[in-house]
Amino acid sequence: MDAALKRRLEARFGERLTAPIAQRHDETEIRIGPGDVPDVVRTLHDDAELGFILLADLAGVDTGTHMQVVYHLWSETTPDWLRVVADGLSRDDPRCPSVTFLWQGAEWMEREAYDMFGITFEGNRDLRRIYMPPDYQAFPLRKDFFLPDDAARSAGAGVRHIEQTHTPRNARPDRVLRKVGA
Amino acid sequence: MGVRGGSTAGLGVGPSDATQKPSDSAGNNASNANPGLILRDTAVAEPIVVANTLWRSTDPNAYVSSPEPDVTHLREVEASGIGRRDDARWSGALEVIPTKADYVLDLIRANSLWPLLSGLACCAMEMMSSATSRNDMDRWGMFPFRASPRQADVLIVAGTLTTKMAGPLVRLWEQMPEPKWCVAMGDCTCSGGRYKRSYATIEGIDRVMPVDVYVPGCPPRPEGLIYGMMKLQQLVKDRRGHWPERAIGPTVPEDV
Amino acid sequence: MTAAPPHGHAHRDAPSDDPRVRLDEAAGVFEPVPPYPPRTERESEFYTLGDGEMFINMGPQHPSTHGVLRIVLKLDGEQVVDLDPVLGYLHRGVEKLCENADYHHTIAYLDPLEYISSLFCEWPGVMAFEKLLDVEVPRRAEYIRVLSTELNRILSHSMFIGWMALDLGGLTPILYGLIERDEIAEMLASLTGQRLLFNYLRIGGVNGDLNHDFMSRLGDWMSRATTQIEANLTLLNENEIFVRRMRGLGRLDKETAFRMAVTGPNIRASGVALDFRRGHPYSVFPELDFDIPTREEGDCLARYLVRVDEIKQSLRIIDQCLHQMPDGPIMAKLPRLLRPRPGRAYAAVEGPRGQYAAYVISDGTDQPFRMRIHDPSFVHLQSVGVLMPGHLIADAMAVMASLDPIMGGVDK
Repeated sequence: MDAALKRRLEARFGERLTAPIAQRHDETEIRIGPGDVPDVVRTLHDDAELGFILLADLAGVDTGTHMQVVYHLWSETTPDWLRVVADGLSRDDPRCPSVTFLWQGAEWMEREAYDMFGITFEGNRDLRRIYMPPDYQAFPLRKDFFLPDDAARSAGAGVRHIEQTHTPRNARPDRVLRKVGA
Repeated sequence: MGVRGGSTAGLGVGPSDATQKPSDSAGNNASNANPGLILRDTAVAEPIVVANTLWRSTDPNAYVSSPEPDVTHLREVEASGIGRRDDARWSGALEVIPTKADYVLDLIRANSLWPLLSGLACCAMEMMSSATSRNDMDRWGMFPFRASPRQADVLIVAGTLTTKMAGPLVRLWEQMPEPKWCVAMGDCTCSGGRYKRSYATIEGIDRVMPVDVYVPGCPPRPEGLIYGMMKLQQLVKDRRGHWPERAIGPTVPEDV
Repeated sequence: MTAAPPHGHAHRDAPSDDPRVRLDEAAGVFEPVPPYPPRTERESEFYTLGDGEMFINMGPQHPSTHGVLRIVLKLDGEQVVDLDPVLGYLHRGVEKLCENADYHHTIAYLDPLEYISSLFCEWPGVMAFEKLLDVEVPRRAEYIRVLSTELNRILSHSMFIGWMALDLGGLTPILYGLIERDEIAEMLASLTGQRLLFNYLRIGGVNGDLNHDFMSRLGDWMSRATTQIEANLTLLNENEIFVRRMRGLGRLDKETAFRMAVTGPNIRASGVALDFRRGHPYSVFPELDFDIPTREEGDCLARYLVRVDEIKQSLRIIDQCLHQMPDGPIMAKLPRLLRPRPGRAYAAVEGPRGQYAAYVISDGTDQPFRMRIHDPSFVHLQSVGVLMPGHLIADAMAVMASLDPIMGGVDK
């Protein structure tokens, strides 16, 4: 938990942050709107005091109501991870500017976020599916994509799916012998 | 630290009220969306339960209590003759009695089964391990792992078969000239293994190609794979793996 | 489809005028060119053939043992002009499965990602869960974790040495590598119960304590490890063909390395002393004394030598762990049904290939809301697009082998 980092970030990006800076353990989290991503990321990268030169991870998140793109950055100057959350992407047409102008290694990570969530990264030269076949229609990690298991067996609300994986098809919830004690 | 009322900054997870109602559209209730921060109390949240509106079983016994099902024991099912036999014995009018030449040929084939390098995932590591110094498959003649399917006898499918890889793998199988055999190594190829619920894997390669020997394990020990290969040798020698008649698909009847 | 055909010939589906030419419909499509018009800028740039160039498909099944990777190579004779890796042949949907499983079950899903270094795949997940639960791991468990993971690192690097030589054509070093690997795998099997997908780390500790079988095997092995590994390496380090082929090949300089988000031995071979055990310390690494081997050249030989030096450093760490091993419990006390606080946690470790990380979002229930796994092989495989062009095919394979990708991790 680096208080100096928090001060520096607030000084630099004060007006762009959409939420107070959260810090826990060794992570510092800032939230910005998707439009601010290129500027913020470039400042974080180029500034000598901040110096976040390594892109550790780029992930998409589907919170159920909207989508987010989460960047994790590493710097020599601070013992914390910096998490940049580009918040507020709509679920119908999620778009986010690409960071491939800064890190070419983000290209495939953005392709993966597109493949799994449908997030379009503007500026990525190669935004096509990377894991699923190119003619696949769905986006698997979205919250409205159900595993075939869930669709077939969620008729009983509250039944733990993981318990039904290996029972025969005509098993019913009252026949599951193992109870999960708290 | 962004603390408000004792909770961390909102995740935007789920609707902001505690009562869950089943959604009639795909996904969680977008109408309740709070675009800003969603305040949560620190009590344990309800799980996101989405009622099933996509598919309901037409079996009347599916969701209600009912008497015992009538198919219980596998042996009874086998004896009743519902399903196909899965011991790879040919039966029928055209029983061909193998000649001495066939016997010698089978002996030769059994002792020099050349596998195809078809290591897909973790089981490939154990396959490599069983082919090298400590557990040497060369003792049974299986040393050359051919890179080309045209020169291989056995397809040891080692590793999870995904839907994307199924096409190339079946093409590999079809490119192999007969006589050929297939060994399903590892849980993922036998039945889907730990990825049985995944959207991108094939639950067992016997859905797409005929399998002669199943070697379970995750991954099977090299000794286990060698045992499976020895079983395959046995199969070849006894002409029990009469390959044109192998079934594709699970040979266990559906009701079981 | 009325779009322009990708490489100047009539479209594949267009009927041919020549009666002698028949499309082999039953055999399926063999062209590596995708059967739809190019959708992205990069695709149209790649699938346009210049003068004298051709496409060769290194299909998902090929003898290079990295796994199922398909690379479409654009060749000018023997020289690689450009390449397009196609992934996804081992995509098993691990992140989605983790969302529908308990926290303890996710450990079993994380194992087969990079199957050679399974403990490193479990570790960031477990660390992230521990951050969410605010649980502290007992010191003995931390030391056992470091001990077993450093053994796993030696296993992984021994296999790397074998594969490096195998991709250059040498068939003997892989046998030596597999001897090392088998020994260490048996050792870890006596500790964890499994040779390969260990499933050993638990939330709050490890699964079982050190036992007599493991300690005796470890003691045996440690007493001859250094000399044995040195002997294995003499096959390669002093082999003129090996060294001359790898020197100067696939040079990755510092700026490119940061641009491609490369971590691990690949970036340490380019002159950057970035090791997350020192750069962002976790577990008990602050108490252990070890060096970070770094090389300046950034070519394949440097990447190979960095990993060789790391084996020696790992032996040092194991030695210290054995001497400094404290007594105590091996597992923190946790309820059986885990419901972490709603929140997010990111944890990263330094694995044999680079930064393995897990980003977990918890919504307060007993299943993770989002389990994001960051895998170094996935990131490093992009660098082949930067490093391979300009080399001959044989050298291109050496470049890819030196980056040490494991397709289980690439495809998740």
